[in-house]
Amino acid sequence: MSADAAGDAGTGAFHDRLRAFEGKTAGPAEVAPDEVNQAMIRHMCEALGDENPVYVDPEAAARSVHGEVVAPPTMLQVWTMRGLRPRPPDDGGNARDDLYAMLDDAGFTGVVATDCRQTYHREVHLGDRLRVVTTVESVSPEKHTALGIGHFVTTRMSYLDAADEPVGDMLFRVLKFRPGTGRVAPSGTGSA
Amino acid sequence: MTVPTTSPRHADVQVGDALPELEVPITRTLIVAGAIASRDYQDVHHDPDLAREHGSPDIFMNILTTNGLVGRFVTDWAGPDAVLRAVSIRLGVPNYPGDTMVLSGRVTEKTDAVVTVEVTGANSKGNHVTGSVDVELPGAVR
Repeated sequence: MSADAAGDAGTGAFHDRLRAFEGKTAGPAEVAPDEVNQAMIRHMCEALGDENPVYVDPEAAARSVHGEVVAPPTMLQVWTMRGLRPRPPDDGGNARDDLYAMLDDAGFTGVVATDCRQTYHREVHLGDRLRVVTTVESVSPEKHTALGIGHFVTTRMSYLDAADEPVGDMLFRVLKFRPGTGRVAPSGTGSA
Repeated sequence: MTVPTTSPRHADVQVGDALPELEVPITRTLIVAGAIASRDYQDVHHDPDLAREHGSPDIFMNILTTNGLVGRFVTDWAGPDAVLRAVSIRLGVPNYPGDTMVLSGRVTEKTDAVVTVEVTGANSKGNHVTGSVDVELPGAVR
């Protein structure tokens, strides 16, 4: 925890520094490590118990309105997840990472996802290579929540295909909170 | 339940229609398999010891799995010719191992293009998820 970051937490000045990230694009588009593929779709459908044949059966998909195998739309976020051993962005700068680091430094180390709103512009097919552009939309003033004292951070993701055509949009909100400051035992500190 | 072989027609679905409930046992396997299949390796979704160190009583379901279950709940009803247009969820209490979540839903809006289903997933502690899903059914105006 840096003295600078901790010194003004809880003040309007700290919130002003957080709000300086609002409207900033996180960095260059992050490209999915893999094309949309049958194996990852199958693993997700098995986990969820989703037996919709259009996700795994080419013949059933061809008979359906989809025409070919499609990924479950709710997997939109999965394709660009950084994974177990994330690499830092190539050019070093990422506004969302910097914002989270500023909150971590001020003691708001807990993170829990609270909202996810996805809109799908087209279906996702095998072989699609998605990329995501992330923008910091807003950072709330300090809030007292059941989990603890924290700030809600709202980001917007725009998912594009290899031709830079829009595939879907997502609004994602997390609570960055100070563990142990809640009214109830924290139910978790992990992201997403 | 399994997915129906045909989808309901847009014209046959009315505001107020209830979807069949889906009871989801929240097993450790579901939480871990969902987290890993969604490439979410946060320890609170697979390691009970580290989850406790972070102040959580146990591992808990990640939001990507919840999102997937909400989508499945709607397409289990809407069938293979349905196209999801939007899924919007807000999380409440966590899904811990050993609990059961019951997903229920009702059609609350209908336009020429989509029907909107309001969804609630409740476990023994309260509502784990509330949200809405826009789905395009056969016969809708594209």
